[in-house]
Amino acid sequence: MELTVTKHATCTFCGCVCDDIELHSDGTRVVDTKAACILGKSWFLNHDVIRHYPDALVNGKEATLDDAIEAAANHLYKADLPLVYGLSNTTCEAQRQAVTLAEMTGGIIDSHTSL
Amino acid sequence: MIYWGGNPAECHPRHFTKYSLMPKGKFTPNGRKDRTMVLVDIRETASAKAADIFLQIRPGKDFEALTALRSIVKGKRVDESAVAETGLTMEQLNDLVTRMKKAKFGVIFFGMGLSMTRGKHLNSAAAMTLAAELNAFTKFVAMPMRGHGNVTGADVVVRYHTGYPFGVNLSRGYPRFNPGEFSTVDVLVRGDNDATIIIGADPGATMPQPAIDHLARTNTIVLDPKVTHTSRLSKVHITTAATGISAPGTAYRMDEIPMTLRPPLKSPYPTDEEVLRRISEAVARKAAWYPTPEALMATA
Repeated sequence: MELTVTKHATCTFCGCVCDDIELHSDGTRVVDTKAACILGKSWFLNHDVIRHYPDALVNGKEATLDDAIEAAANHLYKADLPLVYGLSNTTCEAQRQAVTLAEMTGGIIDSHTSL
Repeated sequence: MIYWGGNPAECHPRHFTKYSLMPKGKFTPNGRKDRTMVLVDIRETASAKAADIFLQIRPGKDFEALTALRSIVKGKRVDESAVAETGLTMEQLNDLVTRMKKAKFGVIFFGMGLSMTRGKHLNSAAAMTLAAELNAFTKFVAMPMRGHGNVTGADVVVRYHTGYPFGVNLSRGYPRFNPGEFSTVDVLVRGDNDATIIIGADPGATMPQPAIDHLARTNTIVLDPKVTHTSRLSKVHITTAATGISAPGTAYRMDEIPMTLRPPLKSPYPTDEEVLRRISEAVARKAAWYPTPEALMATA
């Protein structure tokens, strides 16, 4: 199996966000890391792109992505005060969308910082 | 260089070598030899081996020690019995202040041992005030040691959109900031909110029980690459691609430098960004919750 090498990859495990990592991957998982620390190594090696989980769950039952998005939008729209929380293990682009969503629904937006 | 209430050797393993302690710079040509590292913590962790000076402080006495340091910096009289309470001696504090003032460029890295113990944000404020006041003598900064990947990005992005970094309430149509009132744990424990969307976090595993109970009681939506504790008690779970592994984008380093992610894999799941955008679009198709000009005109 031929490995793909990703140079200067960025690790998002901790706040250091090291951007000099070399990753060797076989298309489904990362098999080797270079320059990563012990935490970064386990972060990269412990993720793969196999479908372990259903696309979505609504009320504990498997659902399609479209239905789940509609259900989520309904819950947030109907709420008097929705809360948008988390945001640390995601990208800045997603965080921007989260701010938009909080503003549209008139909610609170908060991150791990407040813990 | 002062690490206060943090254990970088085990929690941020490359912090020393890549950023803080070892690198050679224009003003530090000899790297480690040009720097003095002080570690303040309640126990001798693995990071103590890297430190020149280790100060063992009594648990919960950080605010007192920082306040005593601020007094010494300003040349004010300090009550020795109050200093003894912190588990440190006057000699140790005086020596530390002398070293801080003599430094060409000082930095206080503070960890969760400072910001998550008794006193919380007041402790962080004390560390930052100490650094600010030291600027009367030399260049000094304070920086939190951030845990999760892009938590700095969350501060930056929320800040440039709303003017405040976290705990922002937009329910009046304009941002209001009040940690303690609009911060998640407080909102959940009091039961103020009636729906929650959680992105890239697992509060079901970390938050106090009353907060988790409230998440289970109300409509909770989770976006996560895995089915987490929180997913199990939520109404909606959407599986998304893992940030930096199969989802591209940008993440901020803890010193607020934005970094491009170079994901090595391609996920079968959508990214957080895409799912959030589609939820926003679905909400936008409904009538606005606030009185829009069109709605007002229609009723007039």
